[in-house]
Amino acid sequence: MLAAGVDVGSTTTKAALIDENKRVVALALVDTGANVVRAAERALHTALTQAKVEEWDVAYTVGTGYGRYRVPFGDLQVTEISCHAKGANFIFPATRTILDMGGQDTKAIRVGPDAEVKDFCMNDKCAAGTGRFLEAAAEVLGLKLEELGEVSARAKKSLKITNVCTVFVEQEIVMHLARGCPVEEILAGLHWTIAGRSIGLLRRVGLESEITFTGGVARNSGVVRALSERLGARLNVAPESQHIGAIGAALFAWERAAHGAVSQRNNQSRALGPVPGGN
Amino acid sequence: MAEAYRFQGVGRDLQKDLLGQWYQRLENAPRTGTPVAYLFISGNIGELLRSFGFELVFPEVNALQCGVKKVAGDFILKAEDLGYSSDVCGYVKNDIGLAASGNRGPFGTLPKPDLLVCTYSGCNTYIKWFEALAELYGARLFMLDVPYRRTGEQELQQDRDYVVAQLEQLAEVCAELTGRPYNPDHLSELLENSRQAEELWVNILHSARHRPSPFDAYFEAVFFMAPIYVLRGMPECVEYYRAAAQEIEERITHRLGPVSEERFRIVLEGPPPWPHFRTFWELFKRWGVCCVASTYSKVGGIWDFGFRHDPSRPLESLAEYAMNCYTNWGWQLRRRMMERYVKDYQADALVIHSVKSCRSFSVGQADVREYFTKECDLPTLFVESDLADPRYFAEAQIRNRIDAFFEALEHRRVAGPHPGRA
Repeated sequence: MLAAGVDVGSTTTKAALIDENKRVVALALVDTGANVVRAAERALHTALTQAKVEEWDVAYTVGTGYGRYRVPFGDLQVTEISCHAKGANFIFPATRTILDMGGQDTKAIRVGPDAEVKDFCMNDKCAAGTGRFLEAAAEVLGLKLEELGEVSARAKKSLKITNVCTVFVEQEIVMHLARGCPVEEILAGLHWTIAGRSIGLLRRVGLESEITFTGGVARNSGVVRALSERLGARLNVAPESQHIGAIGAALFAWERAAHGAVSQRNNQSRALGPVPGGN
Repeated sequence: MAEAYRFQGVGRDLQKDLLGQWYQRLENAPRTGTPVAYLFISGNIGELLRSFGFELVFPEVNALQCGVKKVAGDFILKAEDLGYSSDVCGYVKNDIGLAASGNRGPFGTLPKPDLLVCTYSGCNTYIKWFEALAELYGARLFMLDVPYRRTGEQELQQDRDYVVAQLEQLAEVCAELTGRPYNPDHLSELLENSRQAEELWVNILHSARHRPSPFDAYFEAVFFMAPIYVLRGMPECVEYYRAAAQEIEERITHRLGPVSEERFRIVLEGPPPWPHFRTFWELFKRWGVCCVASTYSKVGGIWDFGFRHDPSRPLESLAEYAMNCYTNWGWQLRRRMMERYVKDYQADALVIHSVKSCRSFSVGQADVREYFTKECDLPTLFVESDLADPRYFAEAQIRNRIDAFFEALEHRRVAGPHPGRA
């Protein structure tokens, strides 16, 4: 028996497959692009190919992320807040606080011992200090996203970056470049700023140890370093940090399948909880 | 069966008729020579003005009507064209845009004011709003300075005297403008009507203590509360609440309610996002959520803790009323009120809808969230959009937060009873 989770995010779509022993057997990642349905299908098929299985081997599928209602083969939709809680708890069972930084969202989630969400806070209607912010910065600096952490590690000091606006930060970077400031110091400053903004969210839900860092930005060692320094604490970061939401979704699917839920694939899927008849 | 449900829908239909008739009277006012006064809902002393024969216009009500009818966005843009900043209150910009468009809205054409009474001074933007209208219309402006209630169970006697003295001055202004003398007996008659309507309205509000609640104290209350705000003191207002109370009684008898299956009971703080009112309601309804008490239904007056207008002390009771609308209370008093609602109405959670363009009221809400989450261990959700500006409503984000919140509540329910509460 296999259970699948598909996390359709604003920038990337992730899929996870787990087997009957709750082992993660495949993880996939594709760009979301303009066609959400297609992205969900591509991500799942990539995972199926990796695991060398067919679609009918999957007993149950849960969709999550902003595009969760567009996952055509999803049996159930669960918000990414619950999925990140579930996924983080699965990989780091002592997790009590989660920081998830994705393309356009930053979330702070406080969880209990069995992954129940106790409180959460998200960034406002603004992508300031999210993955998109770092993308914009990388573009101006002529770097690839995955290079940011490594380059910033070379900085002897970090510059003070005052802007957290994804649009205006570009101007500030250009200003520093024009003054001849080293790229690594600008980057270290950006990471310091982004970390400060996230800590504000974490404090709002109440910081409790252990802290697990998830989402695409968790792959940036510069942000991890800045967060650890500012918090004075170690952060859990899994190699599959970007897939935590999809893994959480797959775990929800696994639970449903284990409780005898039958996949309604090809029928209309529904959301967890809401009264039948609601959308 | 049809006989058994004969009152269902009465509250909404009758409210619509009454408001339609009121707007018609306003449209006719220039022709009939009826004097017109503009004032705010919060702590309004409408009965005093009505006793001089004024028809009343409430710019906030016009703004919310424009929001619901989805024309607020155009009026707001018009105000921004005139130079109003994007950060200015959505209600103000809607009203300025409306005034600059010949005062013609979805409700008809509004008459110009003969008198502007700034009945609510707790928000400095409101003061500027009426100053702008005074300049625009060249109308007389009376600033009623109502002291803010920061702490304490009772308002101070000197504060009450201060408001009463101003009401006496206002009566002189009204007499001068209308040529009618101040008639305290007539004012008392109107206040007796207010008292009766308030008694009936409170019974409706308290009905939400039932399980399931027969009434949504936010999404339905916004319709049911309209007559007590805009028509208070008039006999038809009393009649309205008599009919509405029958509808609620009938719902209790037949266990009818706003949701088919009540699964969560919430207390709600903050005004609704009017341009997306239906969508917002649906986001809660799909989880079987019923709002059992709200603070927004008290912005015009708090009656459910015992206050009634007193015909034997007309000006004094108007002063007490004006000082004790929800918006005139400091956060300590508001927080205590929400705590009481959670307990009395057995709510599972608190939801705060914060207004982006209203900093004066939104500023303490983060503290309220923190207090209820951390001190009371009560699940509290914070969402933000705007009361009038449709541009601030991001459905995907709001939906995500609401879904995640009720998912978590459901999880808590499965995992066991809430610690610290029965």
